[in-house]
Amino acid sequence: MTPGTPTTLTRGGDRRPAPPRAARMPITARGRRDMRTGLLLVSPALLFVAVFALFPLGFGVYISLTNWPLIGAYHFIGLANYRGLVHNPVFLQSIVFTLKYTAIVTIPIFVLGYALAVFVRANRRGATAFRTMIFIPYIVGLVAESYMAVVEFQPSSGTVNFVLARLGIVQETTAWLVHTGLAMTAICGLVIWFAGGLTMMLLMAGMQAIPQELYESARVDGASWWSTERRITLPLLRRSIALSLIISVVGSFLAFNQFFIMTDGGPGTSTVTAVMSIYDTAFADFNVGAASAMSVVLVIVVGLITFVQFHFLQRDGD
Amino acid sequence: MAAQRRRASNRPVLYVAAGAAISAVFVLPLLWEVFRSFQPESVVNSPPSAATFGHLTVANYQTLLLGHDDIVRNVVNSLIVALLAAVLTALVATLAGYGFSLFRFRGSGLAFGLVLLAFMIPFQAVLTPLFLELHYLHLLNSLIGLALFYTTFNLPVGVYVMRNSFLQVPGEIVDAARVDGASVLKTLTAVLRPLVLPGIATAALYAFLFSWTEFLGALSFMTNDALFTLPVALSNVETGTYGFVNYGLLLAGAVIAMIPCVLVYVALQRYYVRGLVSGALKG
Repeated sequence: MTPGTPTTLTRGGDRRPAPPRAARMPITARGRRDMRTGLLLVSPALLFVAVFALFPLGFGVYISLTNWPLIGAYHFIGLANYRGLVHNPVFLQSIVFTLKYTAIVTIPIFVLGYALAVFVRANRRGATAFRTMIFIPYIVGLVAESYMAVVEFQPSSGTVNFVLARLGIVQETTAWLVHTGLAMTAICGLVIWFAGGLTMMLLMAGMQAIPQELYESARVDGASWWSTERRITLPLLRRSIALSLIISVVGSFLAFNQFFIMTDGGPGTSTVTAVMSIYDTAFADFNVGAASAMSVVLVIVVGLITFVQFHFLQRDGD
Repeated sequence: MAAQRRRASNRPVLYVAAGAAISAVFVLPLLWEVFRSFQPESVVNSPPSAATFGHLTVANYQTLLLGHDDIVRNVVNSLIVALLAAVLTALVATLAGYGFSLFRFRGSGLAFGLVLLAFMIPFQAVLTPLFLELHYLHLLNSLIGLALFYTTFNLPVGVYVMRNSFLQVPGEIVDAARVDGASVLKTLTAVLRPLVLPGIATAALYAFLFSWTEFLGALSFMTNDALFTLPVALSNVETGTYGFVNYGLLLAGAVIAMIPCVLVYVALQRYYVRGLVSGALKG
């Protein structure tokens, strides 16, 4: 796809199977018109991305180097905002907390998603309906479900305590959302239930793309289910596994909604996530410079997570 | 596990029974909340008991939709934003996908990379500068501003899906339209549109669901209660801005938020899955 490479193929003169379409276009008067038209067609998308994604990113870096006030003049203060972060206990705690939360939910989401994918990947009666139903919590979204969870995790009146108390697991009066450990348990449980379906869908798509002949010949050789899974499915699923893990880890690291709705960072600041501490710094403390510095750190951390996982999982693949 | 699965694979009834049980874990809690949303507030807020179990009422929905601080306008706000974002995403992504797939131009690779780069930027991380930018553009407290924001962060997936859709159109069809002298736009609207319609549906569906359920952006960019989208308006219900905390209302509101997602997804799920698959296999 190097732009500007001249090609002189004419229509009909090229019958090789599926060449890149662009390479077939002649550089003629039409070719030059194509260049203008092509650029014109993609320009709205470029404009959106430039104005509402790339510019804010650069603007954020710029603001992070200033003492930006809501009204009035600002001054460059160098890296003072970044130095401030190192001495900001709430921000540091929020980063540690978010990493801990990510570490707790990632493996359960993956294992659950994998098991579900194995269950629904076959072309069997009912499999399609099961896929749809298991995926519904993801589609409905964590926001509506967090509101429902707030009601159901209430002491005395919530369904969770009603059921668990009868099973002898908790007291009827257990107040889940005002205790750090219990709130974490509640939120992690909710999130694993919510996100398992997405991992299932991503892994299932990858599993279905593996040629069936490989399984048939393994079956002929008398390989066990586990060895087939380990020798054929897992290695060929590398890309899907990488994708599902990146989506899940980055999603967890950017968590906000469920914590804002269910604990609002409490008790104290014990469940403040990284994004929540940025939100509070910007929109409650109005410290725009510090919030922007935190955002830059967040972009770098998310970029690193993506990069490391991608390379780790792609290294021996392909 | 292996033995279980082999046994299951030999017996369709067993597979369906296991599947039904597993599915129930994911669907029953939501159905239970729908049921609970029809219980009066006093039942939702007090210990469950068999005596009050059957007391059902539409009072929560009545208060929520017809009361003084009705959330109808918030539902309408959400609909406007989600539909606008869906239409804009579909339109802009279709044009871009057309340009990136069937036209050759200088900087095409770079431009495509820039669009996909937006995929790598978590929108949570540009919230503060975007807030200031929207302020200067007079797009804070604006449903249009919110829809533009949602469109941007749905474009990477949309453009990707649309480019793949156009690349799958047989070259002969594109060439034939050109030979017939059809203009670029005419080729798109008359010849190509039906062929890439599934891709358009995918792009629009993703944008709709994203925008309907999005919370953090709407919370940050809207400060006027009348312009809140439904998910943000429900946080007022949760904290009892209407004078008291009423969990019956909160459940009814959450159910209202849930319904369009389920309907749209069940009706159009093959387009949704298509997007996931193209991302999973080629991403």
